[in-house]
Amino acid sequence: ELVAASVPVLADHPLVRGPLFRKLKIGAGHRLDVKASGVFVLGIGHGNKLLSDLYNCHLTKVYTVGGLFGKATDDFSDTGNLIEKTTFDHITREKLERILAVIQGTNQKALLMYSNIDMKTQEAYELAVKGLIRPMGKSPPIITAIRCLQFALPEFQLEIHCLHETQQYLRKVVHEIGLELKSSAVCTQVRRTRDGVFTVDDALPRTQWNLQSIQEAMRNCQLKVETELEKTLA
Amino acid sequence: RGFCVSAGPPSTRQLREAEEAAPVFQYAGKAARRKDRVFVWGFSYSGALGIPSFVKPDAGWKKPRRIQPTPYRLETEDKISSAACGYGFTLLASNTRDITKVWGMGLNKDSQLGFQRSRRDQTKGYEYVLEPSPIPLPLEKPQHTRVLQVSCGRAHSLVLTDSEGVFTMGNNSYGQCGRKVVEDEIYSGSHVIHQLKEFDSKVVQVVCGQDHSLFRTKKGSVYACGWGADGQTGLGHYNITSVPTKLHGDIAGVNIIQVSSYGDCCLAVSDEGDVFGWGNSEYLQLASVTETTQVNVPRHLPFKIGKVKEAACGGTGNIVLTEEGNVFVWGYGILGKGPNLTETAEPEMIPPSLFGWSDFSPDTRVARVRCGLSQFAALTNRGELFVWGKNLRGCLGTGRMEDQYFPWRVTVPGEVVDVACGVDHMVSMVRSF
Repeated sequence: ELVAASVPVLADHPLVRGPLFRKLKIGAGHRLDVKASGVFVLGIGHGNKLLSDLYNCHLTKVYTVGGLFGKATDDFSDTGNLIEKTTFDHITREKLERILAVIQGTNQKALLMYSNIDMKTQEAYELAVKGLIRPMGKSPPIITAIRCLQFALPEFQLEIHCLHETQQYLRKVVHEIGLELKSSAVCTQVRRTRDGVFTVDDALPRTQWNLQSIQEAMRNCQLKVETELEKTLA
Repeated sequence: RGFCVSAGPPSTRQLREAEEAAPVFQYAGKAARRKDRVFVWGFSYSGALGIPSFVKPDAGWKKPRRIQPTPYRLETEDKISSAACGYGFTLLASNTRDITKVWGMGLNKDSQLGFQRSRRDQTKGYEYVLEPSPIPLPLEKPQHTRVLQVSCGRAHSLVLTDSEGVFTMGNNSYGQCGRKVVEDEIYSGSHVIHQLKEFDSKVVQVVCGQDHSLFRTKKGSVYACGWGADGQTGLGHYNITSVPTKLHGDIAGVNIIQVSSYGDCCLAVSDEGDVFGWGNSEYLQLASVTETTQVNVPRHLPFKIGKVKEAACGGTGNIVLTEEGNVFVWGYGILGKGPNLTETAEPEMIPPSLFGWSDFSPDTRVARVRCGLSQFAALTNRGELFVWGKNLRGCLGTGRMEDQYFPWRVTVPGEVVDVACGVDHMVSMVRSF
C-alpha cells in the first residue's frame, strides 16, 4: 500500500516567493468625484477589456442626491462660496414633485431624440412601449427617472437614475430645481448606489479592501456581468 | 505696522460670519398664486395664433413667422376658461361678469368671429383678425351672464352662456347656425348673431362639426342642425336642418353626458359608459356596427373596452378614454400605434407606458383626450400633454415638422389644464408652477 506524503516545499512559502501580485494593471470605470461617494467599478488585469464593453452597454446609474434649500453657491455644493440666501418656506413636497415630473418629461424627450432611432418605424414604436430606447452613443447627460425620497425642509433627498452624467451635472440639477421653485438649493451629498449591474451590496467598504474579499466579490459578480454583456451587445 | 492687516484666505469663522450676515432674498411668498397662461402653436398666417408680429413683423428687418413649431405664450388680460379652435380661427372665452367675455382671432371671412369693425373703413369688417379681439354678444344682462363654453367649426362658431342660451354666428348656408337659410346671404361683414333659447332644458354643451352643430341639454338629450349629407345630424335623413331638432335612434331615453365631433362623424357617451356614433363612416369609424358609409341615426357601438368616460372625434379617427385611464383609438390615419397601424374598425389600446406610466410613477394616467382634424392630444393627471398624428404645418407643437406615429410629449412650461385642437394649430390653457 503506497501512501502519498507531501512535504512542505520552501519555494511556495510567501517569505521566499515574495508577494503574489507585484504589478497589477487596474483600470477605473465611470468617474466618481472627490466630493462624491458610492460604488466605483475597477477592472484588474484582463478585466480591463470588460470595462470598455460595459461602457458601451450604456447602462443607467443610480445616485442618492441630498440637497439643502435656502443657499446658492458658486460650485453648487455646500462647501463653495456663498452667492445668495433665499427664503424657502413656500416650498411643499407637491411643488417639488411637480418640478421632478417636468424634469423627467424633458429628459424622456431627450432620451428618444439622442437614441438616433428613426421615429417613423414600427420598431421605434415597439421599443418606446417597452421603454428600451436608450442612446447607444455619445450624448449629453440624460436623467431617465427621478423621485423624491425624503422631504424635510430645508433638506431633501432625491433618487436619480441617469446616463452619461457627471456628479457636477447632478449638483447643477439640484441648483436648477431650487431656481425653478423660486428659491435656491445646494447639493450636500452625491452617492452612487448603482453603476450598471454593480450595487452597494456588491461593493467592498474600506474595511474589506483585502485580497480574499476582492477575489470573492469578483467571483460573485462574474455571472451578472456576463449575462448583462450578452444581453446588450448581442 | 499694525495699521493695515494683510487679507489672506478667509478663516472658517470669517466665512461663517459673512454667511450669517448675508441678506436673505424672497422671490415667492407662501401665498404665491399659480398663474394661468395660454400657449399657442401651429400655423400663424391665418392670424389664428393671435400674435400679430408673426404675420406683420413690427420691425423692418424681422421676417414673418409662418409656423410656430413650439408652444408660444399668448398674453391675455383675463383668465381664459375655455378655448376652441376652428378651421383657421380661434375663440377664447373667460368666465367673467365683465362686458367682454369672448375674444376671437383668425379668419373672419364668414363673420365667424362676429363683426370686427375695420379702422380704415368704418362700414366694412376685417377679414383676418390678427389679435384677440372682443366679440360683442347681444346679451340682455351683460353684467350677469357668464360664458360657459365656446366651440368652432369650419366657418361658424357657437357660444354657450349660463342663462341666455346659445349664440351662433358665422356661415349659415347649411343651417348650422340654427336659423333659416337665406338664399345668397353674404356672410362677410355680417352683423347677424342668432340666439337659440328653446330646448327641453338648459344646454350644457355645444359642439361644432365641420358644417353642423350639436347641442347637449341637461336632461341628456342631443339636438342637431346643419349639413346632413353624411348623416351627421343623426335625424334619420340626409338633408339640411336649419332648426335644432332632437335626436332619437339608439340614444332615445339615454342620458348622454358628453358629445363630440369635429369632422363629419359624431360620438356620444352615456352616463353608463356606452358609446353611440352617427355620421360619416367612410373611414371605418362606425364599421363595427354597419357596413354603410353614412349612418344617419345614432347607433350604439358595442365595444367591450370598459366604461367609457370621454370620447373625441377627429376627421378620420376617433379616440375614447375609459374609467381606468386607458386610451383606445380606431378609424383611419396615424392612430398612435406606430406606422403599421393605419386603419382599424375595432378600438385598439395605446399602452400606458407611452404616456409616462412606469414602475417609478404607477399612478400616471390619462385624464383627458382631445382630437383635431388629423391629430390627437392626451392630457395626463400630472399635467403633461402628449400629441400624435399628422403634423400639418407644425400643429403638433413638438418642434419638428415630421408626423408623429406614437404619443410624444410637448414641452410646455407649466401644468397643462386643457387643450383645444384645430386643423393646423392648437391652443392650450396652462397653469404655471
